[in-house]
Amino acid sequence: MAIVLRVVTERCNGCGNCEMACAFVHAQGTRPAQPRIQVLGRHASPGPGTPVLCLQCDEPACLEVCPSQALSRDETTGAIRLNEARCIRCRSCVAACPFGNVAWDAARHVVVKCDLCGGDPQCARFCPTGALLSSRTGILTCP
Amino acid sequence: MRIESGGAFEAHRRRVAEARVARRKTVLVCCGTGCLANGSAAVLDAFATRLTARGLNAELGVFVKKTGCHGCCQRGPLVVVEPGGTLYTKVQPRDVAEIVEKSIEHDETVTRLLYTDRKAGACTCQGDVPFYKHQTRIALRNIGRLDPRDIDDAIAHGAYAGLVRAVGHMTPEQVIDEVERSGLRGRGGAGFPTARKWRACRTAPGDRRFVVCNGDEGDPGAFKDRSLMEGDPHAIIEGMTIGAFAVGAHEGFIYVRDEYPLAVSTLTTAIGQARDRGLLGTNILGSGFDFDLRLSRGGGAFVCGESSALMRSIEGKVGEPRAKYVHATTRGLFDCPTVLNNVETWSVVGQIIHRGGEWFARLGTPLSKGTKAFSLVGKVANTGLVEVPMGTSLRTIVEEVGGGVLDGRPLKAVQTGGPSGGCVPESLLDLPVDYERLTEAGSMMGSGGLIVMDDRTCMVEVARYFLRFLTEESCGKCTPCREGLKQLLAIYEGIVAGRGRPGDVERIRTLAEGIRLGSLCELGRSAVNPLLSTLRYFGEEYRAHIERRACPAGTCRELTAYEIVHDGHPGRSAGVNGKRRGARAVQRPCNGCHVCVAACPVGAIAGERKRPHTIDQERCIGCGACYDACRVGAIRFFPKSERVAADADAAC
Amino acid sequence: MPTLRVDGVRVTVPAGATVLAAARAAGAEIPTLCHHEGLEPWGGCRLCLVEISKPGWTGEGKIVTSCNYPAEDGLVVRTSGERVVATRRVVVDLLLARCPGTPLVQRLAREHGIEEASYEVNPEPTDCVLCGLCTRACDRMGVSAIASVSRGASRAIAPPFNQPPPDCIGCLACAEVCPTGHIAWSEADGRRTIWGRVFEMQRCEGCGRPHLTAAQAGWARARGAAEQDLRLCDACKREQLARTLRAVSRGETVAAQAAAS
Ligand SMILES: Cc1cc2nc3c(=O)[nH]c(=O)nc-3n(C[C@H](O)[C@H](O)[C@H](O)COP(=O)(O)O)c2cc1C
Ligand code: SF4
Ligand code: FES
Ligand code: FES
Repeated sequence: MAIVLRVVTERCNGCGNCEMACAFVHAQGTRPAQPRIQVLGRHASPGPGTPVLCLQCDEPACLEVCPSQALSRDETTGAIRLNEARCIRCRSCVAACPFGNVAWDAARHVVVKCDLCGGDPQCARFCPTGALLSSRTGILTCP
Repeated sequence: MRIESGGAFEAHRRRVAEARVARRKTVLVCCGTGCLANGSAAVLDAFATRLTARGLNAELGVFVKKTGCHGCCQRGPLVVVEPGGTLYTKVQPRDVAEIVEKSIEHDETVTRLLYTDRKAGACTCQGDVPFYKHQTRIALRNIGRLDPRDIDDAIAHGAYAGLVRAVGHMTPEQVIDEVERSGLRGRGGAGFPTARKWRACRTAPGDRRFVVCNGDEGDPGAFKDRSLMEGDPHAIIEGMTIGAFAVGAHEGFIYVRDEYPLAVSTLTTAIGQARDRGLLGTNILGSGFDFDLRLSRGGGAFVCGESSALMRSIEGKVGEPRAKYVHATTRGLFDCPTVLNNVETWSVVGQIIHRGGEWFARLGTPLSKGTKAFSLVGKVANTGLVEVPMGTSLRTIVEEVGGGVLDGRPLKAVQTGGPSGGCVPESLLDLPVDYERLTEAGSMMGSGGLIVMDDRTCMVEVARYFLRFLTEESCGKCTPCREGLKQLLAIYEGIVAGRGRPGDVERIRTLAEGIRLGSLCELGRSAVNPLLSTLRYFGEEYRAHIERRACPAGTCRELTAYEIVHDGHPGRSAGVNGKRRGARAVQRPCNGCHVCVAACPVGAIAGERKRPHTIDQERCIGCGACYDACRVGAIRFFPKSERVAADADAAC
Repeated sequence: MPTLRVDGVRVTVPAGATVLAAARAAGAEIPTLCHHEGLEPWGGCRLCLVEISKPGWTGEGKIVTSCNYPAEDGLVVRTSGERVVATRRVVVDLLLARCPGTPLVQRLAREHGIEEASYEVNPEPTDCVLCGLCTRACDRMGVSAIASVSRGASRAIAPPFNQPPPDCIGCLACAEVCPTGHIAWSEADGRRTIWGRVFEMQRCEGCGRPHLTAAQAGWARARGAAEQDLRLCDACKREQLARTLRAVSRGETVAAQAAAS
């Protein structure tokens, strides 16, 4: 059962909790990771921020371009997951993603992208306003 | 002309064979690589010219044949006159007129050109020559007897009879069973049972299969596979076709080095002729079986002879070994089930099918059946290509076939198995040639190199020589072989140059064990054999080099000094002997014959004729040329370290 | 699904797995240098040696590289038997003699109890351990711009004829997979240099930052990437997405996934 992560842009208050949650849940050791979600346009209208993150496309350009089959769709969550051990770091996926949601972590020399936290996206959990909503397909409960 | 069936083949065979029996005289001129190097092409021309001049030609029943290596290359160029098998050695163009007159126009012999040696005297017939008498030739059965560029000559000599039987009267399983009964094991090195390999390939899943012939033979001094390819290509083609029939392959490759142009052209011609005769291609001999062969030319890296590297090379990739945890019989060439066999292995298959596995198994030892071909080289009277039944002792090969050690010097060791083989000391020479026995002795059958070494051979230097070859031929893919052999070589170079250190032997052992266990392919794993076998049998020589800076054989230049004996009583005890005559060492004072003066490459020897000579120690480079040239045994060698010590004493 | 015993631990792995994967699943630690999950097994460094035996085998076990040995049912694996440890130690010792100044090799040496190399130290130290990861990564890209040249101890990794490699696309995968950081590259003024070849970088049409070599953009296009997606850098593409989301939300609330299609 795939996970759907919904973004309700106008509810975002730009607090950045989602970025923090992401950075901590993906941390290796004590150092927080580069967040896979980013809150952009904090000063643009409407709303104080726009969270952007991987859309887990149906026909993912990243997966298509990867030469070493490091990207694959997770059967249970529906996320496009990166197998770091298989990745040869050519970064073609970073270039190919139409939305900029695959990024290069220059500190750790790895490609980073949203993995839906294995089914329980922490950004949504820590979003105080309900701008990020995670649900299983079929039981969408949008307030 | 295509031969459409087994019956038609038999008719054709009888016709070409009878035509040959009817010939009055046939001159076989060896045009093997050895004889060509000695000028046999000119001899061949001289025969053609002379016979034309005398009006002798095919119509009168006189034929000249250009053959492959007869085996006894040392005495080449060789010429044999049939019928009768009169063997002439060291034939020069100027001898041709006489041979034509006596041996062809009449039934006389040119006595001065006959093979002679001390034991056997003059031998009129090839079969009486000791070199041939003690051999049993199966793989080499026709080399030197037939014209490798004439398929009908091969057919007249029995080629393709096994193929006719296999495709006409046997099932693939029966062919494999027959090979199993013969007990045939791979002649390329490891001695893997051939039938087992074929069966594994036959039963492996897959639609496309291959048979491959390993003709890469790159061991220094070895030439038996090359001679087979040059001298009897149809035996290889026949064997491979039978093998393909047995495993269900329709495509085959013969992998040959580009450096062997004669082998390449002979095989190319032979494959073309076999296709024309319908012995290769579709519907072979009307049996419905299709098989064709291609040549694949290798660049000549030693490691390309290793099976996995060879297959990569045929695929057009870099010829580097890879792990063989999945066997080639399951996933080999182009990832299809593949049988790879050595040239010699393929060459005997036709005979096994034709004459039966039991016939072959009657020769040899319980676990090593049949015969084995060797390239006999080194300090032996008759170098060349020999084939003896398995189980023949090394001593028989050296003493009887090889005619003993060159110049009657004492035999020290025989190195078998190519660069990664081992040295068998004189004391073990009664060892029968057999895969297991050679391995137990720390050596191996390998591809069949046999190097005879006399007392003037330093075993540390021998190990260094092979080590150097393998260090250069290592592909460098895996760490232990690439880095380890280099380090071993550095240690050995130190030892032979007098820079040996205590602990070197232990360092060698540790490294050797790491390389043996850790390397990816057999090149690395077996590269340590020459070291381990010399350490095992000649440990004393290592100690002499390292502890006393002395080379007991007197060949390590950095360690050896030479002097001319004036009074017949060598002043310093050096632990080394003077010139040997037979097994006996005789040291006599210098008589001033002056031979050494001419032999010395650096002019270090001075002295008037008939007066004792002396060596200028400052100029002497320690090459030993004088020692080898001296006919009276007036030159002795001793460790340079003693000279240095003596000089120091004198200075005090 | 074969089941093996690794150092006494029973472990079941998917068919086609290697002994290395099985051993790691069983919690064993095996050093590797030339192994990479995304690349062809190579078996060159010989660090991952283990000893295997099968029921019915007599005598000593066989020493094999775990990174390319198929996990077979019933296999008994020992990852740190005496012979394995001794052999691995020789390998590391030899690597240290080759690469005396390379931190990764120094660390391996320490882990194997080696203070200094037992053998002649390389007079021209290098950081290249010849693990072949770079060439295999390049092969995996389908580019094969670099390869190993010459054999034995003179083996090295180089572009053809030691000239700037014509087939290279400047993706840096080789430099990234190199375990010792031996492959040098640099980037300045919109140009990237690697293997002696200088690449023009494609600049982001949004921010002007050089983000991709033109050659790699061509490579990505050939593999189906859309031209317009390669024009912007990832940051600018995210900005663009944010703008789209806001525009959409001015009208109505849309599920994020809908935006994708
Ligand atoms: C470094 C190396 C070189 C080899 N060279 C040859 C060769 O030149 N010819 C050959 O027949 N086998 C050679 N072999 C052995 C082959 O790998 C293989 O075992 C053999 O060709 C199999 O044929 P067989 O079963 O008929 O002996 C070599 C092996 C190694 C490790
Ligand atoms: S053992 Fe030597 S020849 Fe064989 S793969 Fe290793 S380096 Fe290459
Ligand atoms: S080449 Fe003539 S005998 Fe060998
Ligand atoms: S990791 Fe297995 S040989 Fe290098």
